[in-house]
Amino acid sequence: MMRRKEGRAGFLFALPWLFGLLAFMFYPLLMSLYYSFCDYSALRSPVWIGTDNYSELFHDEVFWTCVKNTILYACVSLPLGMVIAIGLAMLLNTNVKGMTVYRTIFFIPSLVPMVSLAMLWLWILNGDYGVLNTALGSIGIKGPNWLSDVSWTKPALILMSVWGVGNAMLIYLASLQDVPTSLLEAAELDGANAWQKTRNVTLPMISPVIQFNMVMGIIGSLQVFAIPFVMFPGGTPARSTYFYAMYLYDNAFSYSRMGYASAMGWILFVVILLLTLIALKLSNRHVHYGGV
Amino acid sequence: MVSLLSCATAVPSAMSKLSDLFIPGLISLSLLALAGTELRSHPTEDETKTHIAVWVGWSGFEYDAFQSVVNDYNKSQNKVFVDLLSITGNSTKTLISTSAGIPPEISLLSAAEIPQFADAGAIEVLDDACKQYGWTEDKYVPGYWNVLQYQGHTMALPATPSTVALHYNTRILSQAGYSKPPETIEEMDEMVDKITKVVDGKVKLAGFLPAEPGWWRWSWGPYFGGHLWDGKSMITMNTPENLRAMKWVESFSRKFGPAQIESYKSGFGVFASPENAFLADKVAMEVQGVWMHNFIQKYNPKLKWLAAPFPYPKDRPDLKGHTIIEQDIFVLLKNCKHRKEAIDFLAYLQKQGPMEKLCLGQKKSSPLRVKSPEFWAKHDNPCIHLFDDMAYNKSCFSTPKIGIWPEYEAEIGNALDEVSLLRKTPEDALRDIDARIQPKLDQYLNRLDKRRRAGK
Amino acid sequence: MTAKKLSTTLTHVALVTLSCVFIFPFLWLLDTAVKPISETMKQPPVWIPSKFEFGNFWEAVNYGSDKVGYIPFLVYAENTVMLAILVVTGTVVSNAIVAYSFARLRWWSRDIIFAVTLATMMVPFPVMMVPTFTIFKHLGWIGTYRPLWVPAWFGSAFSIFLLRQFFKTIPFELSEAAKIDGAGEWKIFRSIILPLSKPALSVVALFSFMGTWNDFLGPLIYLLRQETFTLSLGLEFYHSKAGGTQWNLLMAATSIVILPVLVVFFFCQKQFIKGISITGIK
Repeated sequence: MMRRKEGRAGFLFALPWLFGLLAFMFYPLLMSLYYSFCDYSALRSPVWIGTDNYSELFHDEVFWTCVKNTILYACVSLPLGMVIAIGLAMLLNTNVKGMTVYRTIFFIPSLVPMVSLAMLWLWILNGDYGVLNTALGSIGIKGPNWLSDVSWTKPALILMSVWGVGNAMLIYLASLQDVPTSLLEAAELDGANAWQKTRNVTLPMISPVIQFNMVMGIIGSLQVFAIPFVMFPGGTPARSTYFYAMYLYDNAFSYSRMGYASAMGWILFVVILLLTLIALKLSNRHVHYGGV
Repeated sequence: MVSLLSCATAVPSAMSKLSDLFIPGLISLSLLALAGTELRSHPTEDETKTHIAVWVGWSGFEYDAFQSVVNDYNKSQNKVFVDLLSITGNSTKTLISTSAGIPPEISLLSAAEIPQFADAGAIEVLDDACKQYGWTEDKYVPGYWNVLQYQGHTMALPATPSTVALHYNTRILSQAGYSKPPETIEEMDEMVDKITKVVDGKVKLAGFLPAEPGWWRWSWGPYFGGHLWDGKSMITMNTPENLRAMKWVESFSRKFGPAQIESYKSGFGVFASPENAFLADKVAMEVQGVWMHNFIQKYNPKLKWLAAPFPYPKDRPDLKGHTIIEQDIFVLLKNCKHRKEAIDFLAYLQKQGPMEKLCLGQKKSSPLRVKSPEFWAKHDNPCIHLFDDMAYNKSCFSTPKIGIWPEYEAEIGNALDEVSLLRKTPEDALRDIDARIQPKLDQYLNRLDKRRRAGK
Repeated sequence: MTAKKLSTTLTHVALVTLSCVFIFPFLWLLDTAVKPISETMKQPPVWIPSKFEFGNFWEAVNYGSDKVGYIPFLVYAENTVMLAILVVTGTVVSNAIVAYSFARLRWWSRDIIFAVTLATMMVPFPVMMVPTFTIFKHLGWIGTYRPLWVPAWFGSAFSIFLLRQFFKTIPFELSEAAKIDGAGEWKIFRSIILPLSKPALSVVALFSFMGTWNDFLGPLIYLLRQETFTLSLGLEFYHSKAGGTQWNLLMAATSIVILPVLVVFFFCQKQFIKGISITGIK
């Protein structure tokens, strides 16, 4: 009797989400799948065309350019971001004076709105007189033309993404504070140095968090959109910064090819699913659920 | 577990009381917020007059000029009130709202967007209204009238027109020994070689740069007499004239080096500032529109300049006096609520008085053939007659009337990037454009046809 | 002893250097905000403004007030605040209720559905963009704020996950004791679980607030009329495509936009860190 009551309560409590799952998740996903097999523009009803969108994508040079750009970006920004976020978190975890100030400083970048961020960086990254190149110049390095040199536009964006690690860093910091000091002290007594402690105690203890952030990072970096959308419209120069989500948006809203865009969306979804599963499987070996 | 509880209860009791109100507080606030957002997104309408919505992408002084015309209209009668809105990204927003079934009555687009909107079935054909109100070809400057036509129908009405010309810095030109602007491309190339200064591998002054301002990247082909499509179903990028144009664009990178040009360009300031490349004597000649005069007056009135039609290739004198026709246009959206009132407003705008007021306020020429003497007198652009005359020229051109123009344009832009960076040869670039866009056009026309036949 | 001192000093040095690098763009932002317009675009860049135009902040808020059809900056702020309130409330309330169900109640297929919930975090936004737009179009909600806040009242995978982890750490004995006293699930939820969950709830509230405050794509697609725009879109207003971007005012406006979140974060960081650590994304 109690079980039945609990079961019903459980279901009722979960109702908002269950409705949300159906209405805002499953239904759109299925519709999106349907649209991907259609010729559909916002103003006209969908017309079934079978796999034409998919075969067109396969032969679409711009599609492959975007795929390449997005993968390159993700492959560099993700590991780089993780290393820096963890490193920063470890630095901040040392009970230094002024912790609150430091934490705020590193967190600020994630607060700046997209438009301002884009404008700000357009200035900083200017090839001739931008602050970054001026700074590099003062130590004898001639900075490249970040905004118009095809080989340097992606690195510029990666640089900007690193600047925004504040969010991830907070999460690492929180998890570092949960690492039992007893374990660290024991390691010290055994004669471990800082690097060994890190490698054998700290990192394993926060490995679930690292794994979580990695998965979220894969999902996020493959969808990079807002900053390049504002800073490099159309992926200029020469589509060096044309990313997957940007081409998707252009197809949906600028070229009115929503079916085509939906096909792109599904391909992205499947890829993310596969990559996440692979990443989880490969990393599970290293993850320790020591936990509280 | 224990630490968790102690952590939670460690919060001082005052804070605790405050945070107890957290959720109830949020809920009450959100009721207020709900009321607020609903009111904001559904403004109450004044019942006494019919309201029509007019959306424009203009801002600043251009918007002000139109607002004053709208005010005149609103004051002149009591039945209809025009709600004028300035919308960033107006084309996309118009498309979105039309697809959502809530279009404005009238929207300001650019003539280049007509095919896309017409094919999508978003805008109304205006042939009947034209007949009713006498908006006929003979009333308008031919260049401006032609861009309103699509597949045999008039799809839009002029808002404000513009043409472009080669603006040149007379001081720099005379210092290099030239008292007249170049007439042919060959003359211009010679001038560019003479005027451009390169010191220590760095560009100090450029005679001309196709990339400055780089606003009409698709236009080089037509300037050399090329066509972007055959008017029916073939993309004709890979043709001799277009190739010649591409090679000419490439020649700048070959002469001065792509990296040097990029480096020079990054030192250019924002368009509307004294650091504008043309205003700051960094570029001696550039293609610009009829509005350029205002910016020169505002940011560097001391600049000595004049305008002339863009040069033509020596062996193509038939192209002499050519220009790009651009036009901001008004379209009537399908399924808008107050069609008749919207057309009446459009009729008001097409009258000479309001039209001249708007065009003068935006410092452009007028699309009507007949212009009042005051219009010319009040216009302070010294070259305004040139800009107006060019629109009568038979060799003036504008964007191709295809529905896939945005995608085609993006492709051309990309090709120009590749060629200017010397990453692709002009031949390859043009061939690639054709190869990529032709199938897209075929498919587009195909599907359009299927829909028409299925009655969708 | 000296080794420890050395490592502390090194840490200090590293932190200070890194902070300088990290805060530099923000300082540049503030620097530009107080410059007169002519100095914002000078090349080479001007570091110290010739005059400190603190009036820029006031001007940014009133920008364009002399122009006809101008939208007050404060209107954008109002819109964003109202929207944020609706989203944050919906997020906190709905996710708490749902997470309670996953954490403390047993019901048929609960764990399977939870796994599915986690899986939904992998669905990229672009794939949902078009059909979600179509749904709202059929509902007639385009141009209103509803597409931006109504979904928040139906739960979100990330917040459910966070709160479920947290709720699981509260001793079940507390619930048992209350049940023996005759309390129903809702009473237990409201009187016992919620009060103990403030750190976790505040984390959910903060992330949700930041998400709404800076959301760009949602408003871009769903809001049509200028006076309904939010701050993230409204900043675009200072950036005129025809040239003449008011850089100094844009940066001044940005500083004003960032300020509330910054202040909230600065004073509540300890609680947020605790909240994150306790939910233990493990």
